[in-house]
Amino acid sequence: MSVALARASLGTRLRIAKVALDGEAAAWLSAVGLHDGESLVVLRRAVFGGPLHVRTSSGGEFAIGSEVAEHIEVEPEP
Amino acid sequence: MSAACHAPDSPRDSRAEVKPGDAVVALVGRPNSGKSSLYNALTGGDAHVGNYPGITVEILESDLELPSGARTTLADLPGLYSVEATVDASTDEGVARAFLDDVRSRGVPFAVMQVIDPTRLALGLRLTRELLRANVPLLVVLTHKDVLAAEGRALDIEALSGAIGARVVLVSTRDPSARATVLAAVDDRLRAGAEEAAGRGNFDPRRVVAMVLRDVGEAREKARRKRTERLDRLLLHPALGPFLFVGLMALLFAAVFLVADPASSLMDALIGKAKVGITGLLGTNLFTQFVTEGLLGGAGTVLAFMPQIVILTVALELLEASGYLARGAFLVDRLLRVLGLSGRSFLPLLMGHACAVPAISSTRIIRDPRERLTTILVLPLMTCSARLPTYGLVLAAFFSDRSPLFRAGLFVALYFAGILSGLLASSVLRRTATKGKGLPLVLEMPAYRVPQASVVARKAIGAGRRFLRDVGTTIVAASAVLWLLLTVHMPGVEVAPDRPKIEASVAASVGRAIEPVTRPAGFDWRMNVGLISSFGARELMVGTMGIIFGIDDAADNPAPLTAKLREAKRDNGAPLYGVRTGLALLAFFVLACQCLSTVAAIKRETNSLKWPAIVLGYTYALAYVAAVVVYQVGGLLGLG
Repeated sequence: MSVALARASLGTRLRIAKVALDGEAAAWLSAVGLHDGESLVVLRRAVFGGPLHVRTSSGGEFAIGSEVAEHIEVEPEP
Repeated sequence: MSAACHAPDSPRDSRAEVKPGDAVVALVGRPNSGKSSLYNALTGGDAHVGNYPGITVEILESDLELPSGARTTLADLPGLYSVEATVDASTDEGVARAFLDDVRSRGVPFAVMQVIDPTRLALGLRLTRELLRANVPLLVVLTHKDVLAAEGRALDIEALSGAIGARVVLVSTRDPSARATVLAAVDDRLRAGAEEAAGRGNFDPRRVVAMVLRDVGEAREKARRKRTERLDRLLLHPALGPFLFVGLMALLFAAVFLVADPASSLMDALIGKAKVGITGLLGTNLFTQFVTEGLLGGAGTVLAFMPQIVILTVALELLEASGYLARGAFLVDRLLRVLGLSGRSFLPLLMGHACAVPAISSTRIIRDPRERLTTILVLPLMTCSARLPTYGLVLAAFFSDRSPLFRAGLFVALYFAGILSGLLASSVLRRTATKGKGLPLVLEMPAYRVPQASVVARKAIGAGRRFLRDVGTTIVAASAVLWLLLTVHMPGVEVAPDRPKIEASVAASVGRAIEPVTRPAGFDWRMNVGLISSFGARELMVGTMGIIFGIDDAADNPAPLTAKLREAKRDNGAPLYGVRTGLALLAFFVLACQCLSTVAAIKRETNSLKWPAIVLGYTYALAYVAAVVVYQVGGLLGLG
């Protein structure tokens, strides 16, 4: 059961199931370190629907804008 | 980071030392990978701007002698994540791609040196894989050897090199021996040439990391992460975080703002001394006046900006290198999203309230090129400190019979009018001139680190030099032209001997000629001359109006001028200026980009004449319309 990263709960280990953005944007996100199969944890959300702060299993920490997070589908890590 | 990562260059052009056939080494890496520190360690801070066709951002270069005696040009490319995913040609990725294509087409010996932060090795190796797929001769330099050791981790360099099929070195840029190690590796890589088999472009970065990186000490990496987490809990706290951010920004703003005053006084005093010296040397004549008023006047303006530029650069570098800037952007992003901007625009917009010139330079922290351009275009609308003398004069001249509370309210309203017009303009621009797909907001949040003083100092010195050379020359030239307009006698124009000479100037003739256009806004030719002079710098309005009304030193003591403005009468005895003239003038000053330094800075940062022309066009058009509306509506409401 995948949900948009924007609505994922804090602190749980998740895995990116799909990046539903156009090819170039998805390729860029993948280069940054956010791609299908990558594990991550949402650490916090900024107030009023601001960005999410996530940590990936590759060791990166990112602020992800909520409109981008709407297009990243995640599922609980098995 | 965008071209922002780059320290501005020093004026020394050592390009001539490099022969056309000499090698080129491109320095690439993700933002925050330690690229700036490595560049600094290799070059000692020397840099000049390279010339690459089709590339509009600065590529800084330095010429190096390698251990073998061969010479090479080291080019510092913007921080980038990918050479395959080029969302837009004007992004850092697009720039890097264009650069690599250009250098390859020259057929000179060439290598790419990729900088990787080994504490985030898996992320860095993603770019390595792309570079190997692009078949470039690659050397991987892992920096932060010291951090790795402090975290109790060991890296098997040979295993890494074997796994990816490229040469690898591990250094600490704080260690003096790093330079020799890296230069020797560069030398070897260049000598091996493009024939050396390109590495494997199909490895799995996480598997490679699992294979080559292992814990050898205590789990100190966890301790470091805990520190970052603790700091984040405080600095990104939903309530406390924004409060601390605003406090820090206010401190920075105050530093930039407050430094302007004593620095300007000092520069004024120095320029005053120079003027006395030159007048003593050349005597009192028109040429001396040109040198002292036209040229030295402009030079004074340039020098007064210098401390602000340097302080702001230092502050930005400290924020960026410590890892806090990304956190600040995280906190205020939502607010600025509403206006088509992002968290990274906050700092430049805030700085714009002190002075637009350093604020325009600081937009280099904005990674998205369209957003950066939008921020540059609206910055001139922020209420900078130079508007204050004119606001003060107008408030004193036209509203002195009102209560201090009313005047204070009007003053605050002017500040907010600036912010509001900027936000509206940004919202319109994002739908028109700077329309287009932006980069998705994904900011890397680096671990907190102590900034390196030598890197910060290099960038601050470079910013100062670059400002002097690029913006300073434009300001001095424009100041000289304006002086000529305000001084040179218009042929065929005669004025009574008891009238100020400025009434016969070219500027006065222009002021009279455009009177029919400016009359609906309540501006007569005198006001027009003031506006022409304030085209160079808005604070000149007060002094020029003083000259026209025969008041000496009105800029320092505006009281006699305000009295004159209130008492001035038309031929029919009606007051020349009323309350609504004052309001119209204020509306004009809120919106018009009356600052050549800002125009020069925009030209410098956008590398074009088009954008400064657009800024002048749209701000003056808005200013004129607003002044006319205010004056005419004021008339309908029965204001004097």
